[in-house]
Amino acid sequence: MAEKYKFLSPLGIEDEVDTVPLAPRLTSLDGKTIHFSITGEPDLTIFLERQLKASYPQVNWTSKKSYTPTPVRLTEEERKTTDAVILAVSW
Amino acid sequence: MVVDYEDQDNMVRSNAMKFGVPALRFVSASRTLPGPEDAARLIKPIMDGLTRPLTDKEKEPGKYRPQNQRVIFEGTMDEAEAFFAQTQIVKHPLMNVPISLYTDGLPIVLPTEERVAKMLKGTSHKPDELMTFRADTRSGQKGDDVVFLPKLRTSTVERVAVNAVMAGCKPEHLPVVLAIAESGVGVGTTVFFSQWACVSGPIVKEIGMNTGVGMIGPGSPVNSAIGRTYQLMAINIGGAVPGINRMNSIGSPFNVAGVCFGENAEGLPAGWKGLNEEHGFKKTESVVLAGQATGGIYGAQFSPGGYRSLQRSGHGGMARRAGVKGTPGPHNWLEYLIPSLWAGREGGFIFIMVPEMAKHLYDLGFKTKDEVYKWLYEKSKVPLSEYRNRSWPDESSNGWLGIEGTSGKHWKELADDYMVPMMSSPSQNCIIVAGGQEEVSIQIGGGRYIPSPHELDRWGATAYSVDAWR
Repeated sequence: MAEKYKFLSPLGIEDEVDTVPLAPRLTSLDGKTIHFSITGEPDLTIFLERQLKASYPQVNWTSKKSYTPTPVRLTEEERKTTDAVILAVSW
Repeated sequence: MVVDYEDQDNMVRSNAMKFGVPALRFVSASRTLPGPEDAARLIKPIMDGLTRPLTDKEKEPGKYRPQNQRVIFEGTMDEAEAFFAQTQIVKHPLMNVPISLYTDGLPIVLPTEERVAKMLKGTSHKPDELMTFRADTRSGQKGDDVVFLPKLRTSTVERVAVNAVMAGCKPEHLPVVLAIAESGVGVGTTVFFSQWACVSGPIVKEIGMNTGVGMIGPGSPVNSAIGRTYQLMAINIGGAVPGINRMNSIGSPFNVAGVCFGENAEGLPAGWKGLNEEHGFKKTESVVLAGQATGGIYGAQFSPGGYRSLQRSGHGGMARRAGVKGTPGPHNWLEYLIPSLWAGREGGFIFIMVPEMAKHLYDLGFKTKDEVYKWLYEKSKVPLSEYRNRSWPDESSNGWLGIEGTSGKHWKELADDYMVPMMSSPSQNCIIVAGGQEEVSIQIGGGRYIPSPHELDRWGATAYSVDAWR
């Protein structure tokens, strides 16, 4: 019978992660603050921002823009007053 | 809600899990539709994602429990061969093809506990020691854990050694491998991301690295094994999988079996520092320059015979272009490259050149490498009116809303004739002397990173101490 060996793992070590539910969805858009976090691709995001604002005028739209893949973070205060976030485009 | 590109869905899912939001909702933008049309198409699904009630599954908290066992398999050698040869099918954006789970696609040396223990004799560091930075770097401070992208993992010294065994390394190679691991072996972006490493200092000769003819090519069991470990660490420690979280669209030949080579310190002209001294180490100390280049690989712009004619007699096309016909050298051969170097891409370059070509630059008056770097920096400058017509600066200038580095002014305040360099500092360029006698130079885009408050480059090659890992 062939000899048995132990083979060691080449894999990196990952921490356990507590996964969280999605944030509750909006039941109404009226007066809600929705933040548009723009990350590049302006030939799309300029029109997306424009059309979102035109289609949903009852929403209080806010936005921050980066031309890189890294979004501009919301401040703690902004997080408290923001009801939802759209991030585009993630690449 | 996140808007991604459809081929990157796997990457979004992978990152969402890693950050604890596995049910993240996302929709996909088109790579081809005009912006207004695609925006109109996306609005409804985006708003639906924000308002559609959560499913029971989306409401569930949970736990992501990765498997971190030290022994990954027990069995016979034959059974282990089958285990380590396992693949997963990546349906999309690959085309239902198998991708290796633990290797680069080629057979490996099986990492038995005994072989790994033997490998670990190549370092004084304990097997269970976590990989931490030996010095302050752009990625962390001395003593911080090294984080391996894309899965944000950590590693012990032993797990690095496991990969070294698998790649065919010997124990004496391990300090170099550990120094490369300190880089975090990032696999980068969707672009032409090429990983490479160059070793400088006494260890080059100690372990028998090839610094001469074909040092980037096949043949050397030292260069090849260390280079391959670089790749295996990206796959196993970092967790990089093509089509899931390693998204280089075309890939790079540098990353197939890995690239590591040695600097030819004896080929340096007098007064030119080796890579170790350039990065603040002593000539007697060994370092590895770990490169994670984004900027393409260029080379062979001129024929070696044409080069010799230029330098020996001032004959041939290179001499005609340089306006030195009939005048023997030394002539500045870098002039020949200037029109094409930054034709499409900004940033510093790694200039790999054979000793004779370095000597010609020295004889011409460049008594230090820094003088060459400064010359390249000045030569790279173009008027802002021309710089605006390039692709990458739309992003690197933050849509022209940021500050231009050399003037400290907003881009929009600068005159059209303001001269903009193609890199944030001369030291983003880097010369490596290696290779054979035939007059060839290659240039690796992406440049080099030296810690500096003015350094903006995100990916440039960075030096790590090898001796710290002996």
